[in-house]
Amino acid sequence: MENILNLLPETISSEIRQAMKNKRFQPQEIRLRMNQPVELNDGTNIIWLFKTRLTQSEALLFLNRISEYSMYRLEEELRQGYITISGGHRIGISGEVIVENGSVKAIKHVSSFNIRLATDMVGFTKPYLSYIYDSSLKNSLIIGPPQSGKTTFLRDIARYLSGGGVFKRTFKTAIVDERSEICASVNGVPQHHFHSRVDVMDKCPKSEGMMMLVRSMSPEVIIVDEIGSEKDVQALMETIHAGVCIICTVHGRDLEEVKQRPALLPLFRANVFDRFFVLSNQKKAGDVTDILDQHGRTILKQRVNSL
Amino acid sequence: MKWFGALLIVFTLTWLGYEWSKKLEQRPQLIRVLKSSLQILEAEIVYSQASIMEACHNISQQIPSPVSGFFRQVAQQLKHEPISLYDIWDKETDRFCHSVFLSSEEKEIMKQFGRTLGQHDIVQQQKYIQLALTHLDRKLKEAEDMNYRYGKMVKSLGLLAGLFLAILLL
Repeated sequence: MENILNLLPETISSEIRQAMKNKRFQPQEIRLRMNQPVELNDGTNIIWLFKTRLTQSEALLFLNRISEYSMYRLEEELRQGYITISGGHRIGISGEVIVENGSVKAIKHVSSFNIRLATDMVGFTKPYLSYIYDSSLKNSLIIGPPQSGKTTFLRDIARYLSGGGVFKRTFKTAIVDERSEICASVNGVPQHHFHSRVDVMDKCPKSEGMMMLVRSMSPEVIIVDEIGSEKDVQALMETIHAGVCIICTVHGRDLEEVKQRPALLPLFRANVFDRFFVLSNQKKAGDVTDILDQHGRTILKQRVNSL
Repeated sequence: MKWFGALLIVFTLTWLGYEWSKKLEQRPQLIRVLKSSLQILEAEIVYSQASIMEACHNISQQIPSPVSGFFRQVAQQLKHEPISLYDIWDKETDRFCHSVFLSSEEKEIMKQFGRTLGQHDIVQQQKYIQLALTHLDRKLKEAEDMNYRYGKMVKSLGLLAGLFLAILLL
């Protein structure tokens, strides 16, 4: 939290500090829009800070600070539309886009920032571990809408698999962390706490990263965030048929909805997943509403309320 | 006493001339070092995509003083009190140019360059570095010319002026 507030323009950060102190509010997102009040939200509640509004020069200063005054380092990030900063927090941006040869080259005038604060909840996936491993590791797909805690779930699972002391054995865990969200690596070294058997491919495109890890690191399980494109799916199929277990996440409300997505069809046709975890953002991040087996039958015995 | 005063005048003016010629000599050297530091900066930005802070730090270790001091200051200030890069660059350029013999034109080139630093993508940034290098090249030639033409003259001029004044006053 503190390193984000240090990046923000002083007027805004001091107001946020005050609001957090007064209202005991733990925001999940800080949203800044040009000439608009600052929005803080924790998934369900919104707080508006009316005292300061983001100005053009402040937006530029903020971008400059994010990039350590070296905008050329954000080339790829400005094309993708989000920037991951140290601590694993992600800043989404939108604004005027420069197009070259029909594809987006960069976002030029940034008008909105969405700062998503990385939350690290240690140990909340413990009740679900038996669904992932009984006698063998299951290929699992974690389904959830935005802000439902998919990445947090994945991170926690990775912690247990790589040596959290719950399973009888530990697994060689490889993580493809395209957006540096799972591990929040700095110079390739994970900043979040993990156990010893984790190998991370940081900032690497998912499809390539999976294949590279299979070839180079002989993992037992590969963890990937947000499968979406056809290339990802193809690499996933390759990996699964190379005898490596996969745990990945996908955007969606439930299994039925995800099954409709054209890019993901080959996965369901080949029936590669043994477990589906459905997360919801209704109550709180990391709320598992359903667990299904490979035939789509509910196997979750009892919902876990305590987080 | 008279003779002593005359000697003092000769000595002072010779020394002034000598200093002046040293400055004339210094200027092309400084511009050369500035040029090579911009070239290092280009390599740091284009090939290793280092941040400005890292790049300035690396430059300060590779080039001779006093230019190294300038880059070290920029890197340190960026680290400790991140206001805006241009403000820091501007302030440090002023301070640097005040302490060494560089003309206001070189100062302006550096300031203009600082305004573009870190604000563009790699291709653009490289162009701006090249532009600054071309400007500095021109100034280098000018400075070398000046040194070649006036360097020796200024030295003897000091001595001669001293002698002249001394004779006049005796």
